[in-house]
Amino acid sequence: MPARAGLAATLAHAMLPASPEPAAPVIRLDQVSKRYPGGHEALSQLSFELGAGEMAFVTGHSGAGKSTLLKLLGLLERPSHGAVMVGGVNLGSVRRSGIPRLRRQVGMVFQDHRLLMDRSVFANVELPLVVAGVPPAERGKRVRAALEKVGLLAHEKKSPPALSAGEQQRVGIARAIVGKPPLLIADEPTGNLDPQLAVEIMGLFVEFQQVGATVLVATHDLFLIKRMRKRVIVLDHGRLVDDVAAAEVV
Amino acid sequence: MSRHRARRGDPLPAAAPSARGRIATWRGQHAWSLHASLQRLAAHPVGTALTLTVMGFALALPLAFYLALGNLQRFGAALGESQAISVFLKPGLGAAAVAGLASDLRARADVAVVATRTPQQGLAELSAMQGFGPGLAALADNPLPYVLVVTPRAGLDARAGQALVTALRALPAADRVQDNSAWRGRLDALLTLGRRVVLLLGALLALAALLVVGNSVRQDIQAHAEEIAVMQLVGASPGFVRRPYLYAGICYGFGSGVVAVALVLLLELALTGPVATLAAAWGGGLRFAGLAPALLLAVPFAAALLGWLGARIAGARHLTAVEPH
Ligand SMILES: Nc1ncnc2c1ncn2[C@@H]1O[C@H](COP(=O)(O)OP(=O)(O)OP(=O)(O)O)[C@@H](O)[C@H]1O
Ligand SMILES: [Mg+2]
Repeated sequence: MPARAGLAATLAHAMLPASPEPAAPVIRLDQVSKRYPGGHEALSQLSFELGAGEMAFVTGHSGAGKSTLLKLLGLLERPSHGAVMVGGVNLGSVRRSGIPRLRRQVGMVFQDHRLLMDRSVFANVELPLVVAGVPPAERGKRVRAALEKVGLLAHEKKSPPALSAGEQQRVGIARAIVGKPPLLIADEPTGNLDPQLAVEIMGLFVEFQQVGATVLVATHDLFLIKRMRKRVIVLDHGRLVDDVAAAEVV
Repeated sequence: MSRHRARRGDPLPAAAPSARGRIATWRGQHAWSLHASLQRLAAHPVGTALTLTVMGFALALPLAFYLALGNLQRFGAALGESQAISVFLKPGLGAAAVAGLASDLRARADVAVVATRTPQQGLAELSAMQGFGPGLAALADNPLPYVLVVTPRAGLDARAGQALVTALRALPAADRVQDNSAWRGRLDALLTLGRRVVLLLGALLALAALLVVGNSVRQDIQAHAEEIAVMQLVGASPGFVRRPYLYAGICYGFGSGVVAVALVLLLELALTGPVATLAAAWGGGLRFAGLAPALLLAVPFAAALLGWLGARIAGARHLTAVEPH
C-alpha cells in the first residue's frame, strides 16, 4: 500500500462492514516507544489496536503519555521505536511531504482548541476545506452542516473570543469533522469545561462514532469515562496498564 | 446525519478527478491566498505604507539618475552642435590671405560656417573686459592675430569632428587651433561613467528593496506563527502555507513600483519648467524629456518580481522555523 495515496482508500475500505475480509484496524501500535530529546521515555513498548468505527478513551495520570500518543497519530511527533499504523499505512514510511495528506484524513481536536482568534467562526471551520482544495460553493454547505451539527450555526459570523469556552471547543470540533475524516482524535477536549458541557461535548464524539468514524479521546475525567461506557485504554508512565472493553466499564 | 452517512463514498477531494476540477481547485486556493494576503496588508496600513514608501524611494532613485543622465546626454549633444573651432592664424597674415583661406574652408563639406574676427575686433572685445583697458591702451601695435571661427556641419560625429580639427591644424597659416569640442569627449566619458553608476546603483537599490520586502514578509510570518501552525495541523501543504506571503511580496513589489513611478513623474513635472528656462538661456531648442512610457509601465512589474523573490527567500528561511518539526 503506497503511503501517500492509500490512506483514505484504506480507511474507507476498513470501515466497510460488508467487506468479506475482517476489517483491518484503523489504528495499530506495535511496540511503540517515544523518547523526547534529553527526556525520559514518554511511551514504552505500547501496543494496541483500535478497530474501524470503534471509540476509545485514553486515560492516565498527568505525564502518562496521552498527548504523546495522539501526537504520534497526527505525525506531530515520530516514534523512537516501533511502528504506528493508521488505516493500514505505516506512518514511518510517510515522508515529510506526505504529512499534509495524512493530516487531512485525521481530524484533531485540542484542549486549547487552537482556533484563529482574528477570523470568524465560519473561516475557522472552513480552513481544512480550503487547504484540501474544496470549491467555495461546496465549502459553504459543508461548513454550515458542521456548524449545525455542533449547534453553532447562529454564530458563524462571530469571532472565537466572542464565544464561551464550550462554544469555542465546539468550533474546534466542527473544524475537525468538516472534512469528514475517517479518524477523529481529541486531546482533553473537555478539560476547560464544566461537567454539564463536558457531557454534551462527549455526546458529540459518540454521535460521530455512530455514523462510522473511529474516535480516540484522551482525558483524565474518570466521571465522564464511566458515564460514556466506551473502551478505556489506561496508560501509566508511558506503559499500557489496562485496556477495558466497553461492556466491562462500570 | 445523511452528511455523515455519505462519508464512505465521499472522501476529501485530495486529488481532484478532472483537469477542469483541478483548475477550479487551483483557482479557488489562489483566490483564497490572495484575499488572505490583501486582508493582512490592509490590517496594518501604517506598516504597509511605510514598506511601500521605503521600497518606492529605493526604486525611484536609480530611475531619477537615469532620467538625469538621459537629459544630460541630449543636452550635451545639442550643445555640441553650437560649438565652433577657433583657428588662430599666424601674425602678420594680410586681410586678403585671410579672406582667401576662409573661402577655402567654407568650401569643405564638413564645415558649415566660417566667421572672421579681425585683430581690431579682438582688441575691442578685450578692452571691453574689465581690467584690460589701460594696459592695452599702452600697446603701440595690435598684437592680436586674425581668428577664423569654424563651425562644423551639424550632425558631424566625433571622429569626423576630430578629422576636421586635424586638417585645420595642418594648415600652414594656422598658428594654434583651439578645439572647443574637446569638452564633448570629456562629457561622453563622464556619461559612460554615469551609466555604470546608474547600473550599479540600480543593482544595489534593488538589493535593498529585496531586503525590505524580505524583512516585511519575515515580520508577517512571525506575526502569523500561530496561524501557520494551525494550517499545518489541518493539513496545509508547505506551498499553500507559503502562498499568501508570496502574494504579499508581489503586492509590496507592485505597490512600491507604482510609488517609484509616481515619484519620478513628480520629479519630471518639477524639472520641466527650470530646464526649459535653462535651455532658453543657451539659445537652444532644447526640451526636457521624461522617461519612456514603456519603461515606466515595466517598473511596477519588475518590482513585483523583486517582491516575489524577496518573499520567497524570506519564506524559505522563516516558514520552516515555525513548523512543528
Ligand atoms: N516536547 C517535549 N519534550 C520533552 N519532553 C516532553 C515533551 N512533551 C512531553 N514530554 C514529556 O513526556 C511525558 C509525557 O507527556 P504527555 O504530554 O504525553 O503526557 P500527558 O499524559 O498528555 O499529560 P497531561 O495529562 O498533563 O496532558 C511527560 O513526562 C512530559 O514531560
Ligand atoms: Mg496531555
